[in-house]
Amino acid sequence: MRPLQAHEVINEVLSGSMDLEDHVLQILERVKEKEDTIRAFIALAPESSIRARVREVREWLREGRRPRLAGLVVAVKDNISTSFLPTTAGSRILEGYVPPFDATVVRRLMEEGAIVIGKTNMDEFAMGSTTELSAYWPTRNPWDLERVPGGSSGGSAAALAYGGADLALGSDTGGSIRLPAAYTATVGLKPTYGLVSRYGLIPYANSLEQIGPMARSVRDLALLLDVISGHDPRDATTLRVPPTSTFIAKPADPRSLRVCAPPELLEASEPPVKAAITKLLGRLESEGAAVIYDRHLTTIDDALAVYYTIALAEAASNLARYDGKLYPFVRIAPTYTGTATETRSRGFGPEVKRRIIMGVTSLSEGYRDELYMAAAKGRRVIRDEVLAMSRNCLIAGSVSPVLPPRLGERITDPLKLYALDIYTVIANLSGVPSLTLPVDFYSDLPIGMQLMGPPLSEAQLISAGLLVESLTGLAGVAAP
Amino acid sequence: MSAEGLGYRIGLEIHVQLTEAGTKLFCDCKSNYRGMAPNTNVCPVCLGLPGALPVPRRRPLVLATAAALLMGCEMPTEMVFTRKHYFYPDMPKNYQITQYQGGGGAPICLGGRLRYYDPDLDVWRSVKVRRINVEEDPGRTEYEGSIQSSEYAYVDYNRSGVPLIEVVTEPDVEGPREARRLVEYLLLALDYMGATNPRLEGSFRVDANVSVEGGERVEVKNIGSTLDLERALRYEIFRQSKIISQGGKVRRETRGWDPVRKVTKPQRAKEYEEEYLYFPDPDIPTVPIKDLVAEARPLLLRTPERLMEAIVSYGVRQRRSWALVVTKPAAQLFLSSVRLGAEPRAASRLIAVDLKGLIKKFGKDPNDPSSWPGPETIARLTMLVASGEYTYDEIKYNVLPAIANDPMLDVKGVLPPKANNIDNVIDEVIMSEVKAVRDYLDGKAKALDYLVGRALRRMAGLAVDPKAVRTSLEERLARLTSGTQ
Repeated sequence: MRPLQAHEVINEVLSGSMDLEDHVLQILERVKEKEDTIRAFIALAPESSIRARVREVREWLREGRRPRLAGLVVAVKDNISTSFLPTTAGSRILEGYVPPFDATVVRRLMEEGAIVIGKTNMDEFAMGSTTELSAYWPTRNPWDLERVPGGSSGGSAAALAYGGADLALGSDTGGSIRLPAAYTATVGLKPTYGLVSRYGLIPYANSLEQIGPMARSVRDLALLLDVISGHDPRDATTLRVPPTSTFIAKPADPRSLRVCAPPELLEASEPPVKAAITKLLGRLESEGAAVIYDRHLTTIDDALAVYYTIALAEAASNLARYDGKLYPFVRIAPTYTGTATETRSRGFGPEVKRRIIMGVTSLSEGYRDELYMAAAKGRRVIRDEVLAMSRNCLIAGSVSPVLPPRLGERITDPLKLYALDIYTVIANLSGVPSLTLPVDFYSDLPIGMQLMGPPLSEAQLISAGLLVESLTGLAGVAAP
Repeated sequence: MSAEGLGYRIGLEIHVQLTEAGTKLFCDCKSNYRGMAPNTNVCPVCLGLPGALPVPRRRPLVLATAAALLMGCEMPTEMVFTRKHYFYPDMPKNYQITQYQGGGGAPICLGGRLRYYDPDLDVWRSVKVRRINVEEDPGRTEYEGSIQSSEYAYVDYNRSGVPLIEVVTEPDVEGPREARRLVEYLLLALDYMGATNPRLEGSFRVDANVSVEGGERVEVKNIGSTLDLERALRYEIFRQSKIISQGGKVRRETRGWDPVRKVTKPQRAKEYEEEYLYFPDPDIPTVPIKDLVAEARPLLLRTPERLMEAIVSYGVRQRRSWALVVTKPAAQLFLSSVRLGAEPRAASRLIAVDLKGLIKKFGKDPNDPSSWPGPETIARLTMLVASGEYTYDEIKYNVLPAIANDPMLDVKGVLPPKANNIDNVIDEVIMSEVKAVRDYLDGKAKALDYLVGRALRRMAGLAVDPKAVRTSLEERLARLTSGTQ
């Protein structure tokens, strides 16, 4: 199935050949049809407020404004603050919380005429790689209902994949945009650290994560990136750069493209995954691109340990605030400590508790040096290696070592769950951008590839992505 | 061995709010929350709502840097903020953003020295500063009645995020009185830099560490005034010395100062180091210290020490210069009137002693510049004394009360005509007040006060120096005595 791509919709809406209300209602119909089985959304905006918003944007158009996302339906991950919809981060402990402010990215969406349709399901506090660890329910993969859509931005990816939104926002701490993109044949970008404001993103691991765009095609993804990127005075970690202008990027000329495919990012993948990516790299070569297979990423062996040590330390700290005093979910006990304990025991799921305990351990006196401090040092080594390689070529590799897992297949063993992130965490540890896009299907299951580049190389990645799309013909693909 | 004889060590942790920074440390809410309804000086950032991010505000950082420069601190190259974790109802995030040496963090001051003036002995002292942290203040918990009887605990986050500096000294403060003087000097210096208004309720708190020879260290928390600091230290040294001299043991503990009953009370035993899980706050990039130092330097042009030097250079004694400097508008007035030609020594006495005394006596605030006359008034008065037209006391008794009452008054209108024939008036008094004169001669010294009063009444409306009247009365009466015997 090929629904219209977002940039095609925008053209028709702005040229007057399509009424944006018809477009929005069509998507709402699709959502009604699919949500019972897929369950991508935790909260959907009431139809009345969507209609009101449609009228507002239509009025803007009548006034002659040309907002870049006019009438486009955007699904927003539930850890991104919205003042008009509850924001739970997939956790019971934030049930009923409606933030008194909008995340910067949401504000930018609204200014450009987007219709935010709802908040998408996710692993609790983004801690997971399958969306099965949501406190509410697991989301199913629209391409195969017995399989997971990946996580933690699984709701956003699934909604896109079945045509429940034109565009979506996800967040990526260690692969949370890219795994779901790979498992659902959608496109996702983990931007350069500091390119997109985190203001309003419910924090999991502040030094690693970014909000990023998700779409069904590279061009659509670029459209959304241009709207949400750029310096934000409310986030001191944003870079002092203007918004990107990647929407106008052209497909890369294969003859001037250099791609490194380090074996460490490919060899250990399941045969169908490895085969699909190798085939794509071969096609790039035959188009004239230089593909280098013998450059090595030797630090990857330590990446998972380093990543989880840092992420969980920051997570334990970030999650300390949920003690029942400022948020609706509370279990009252006679003392403050009792209330905090009771609220946290009932409000957090088991995986979140496990990660808090591990995070606290790695920051504790006596462990800090050999865990947190050692990981911080290891992170610098990994970053140096990735940055050095990214100076000479775009880095290509698998996103996930496996095809989309079946529901229940991975979550019983935390180590097997964490291992899904092996290829994705290095972009977060290094702060570099990573684009994921579909390269093929294997017995109807999507396979994705990631491309990493040096910091702020988003335009370059998008150009390369457009080239890949032209070879695969998968731009705009959606599940039946 | 007597209880008082044991040696002791005192170290201080002085928390000062940067009330004059304008904003909180990481958001644009106000640094001075006094007089505001509960929870009206708050925003997502200082409420610690998830996703709201701390963005360091420039002014608090510059002021903290100025404090470090004042104490001649060794400084790191970057300002780093660290998270310190503990669960507490008035701390929205359950971690405090502060500074910490270790784990990749560093305080703004890694060691320095604070010079302070001791007006009691008219000497300069100094204390070693171990470190200075910049950090955010938590909110406040309030109760209906007492903590025991109150059904609810009410949390007010207006204070949450207000910038604080914590100055930690080495345990080499000489004694309770010196501790008090040290803190008073520090507050004054920060006041002059425009960092804090120490007269605001709750703008500073002191925790004092006290150990008496033979015992362990006791921390006394939450001392809210410099007078209480001296009292708490005296109390604690006495209490610990008594225990030790009676053969008891002083264990490591934390105590609280009760300012009403003037005693320290046990809070909790401190047998282990708390686990704070320190790590650098990933939301806050480091800030280069070099630029902050450049911005902070001009603030150091007006420290109390420099002002005292300036005043002393006019021939004013050091202790008097301190009396000027402790009241900011007084020091300002002195310097401007000297620039207008005021005679410095008379001006310093007039301002720091007599006028300040009268302003306080009339219940006005000497720290409010509008309580004081303009520099031209001071200049004119001292010139009248210098030219010999009036004596200092004539001005003091006949002009200053009116000026203290209404600082805008024109001196010309207040200056009484000179009473130039005191002797005649005194003769008249001696002749008409026969009984009082006899009483005085019989040895009733009090009768002299009466006679001075009668003389002053006869000269009402004229510029009279009561001391001169008294002296001439005494002389005349003495002559009478020698004449009769």
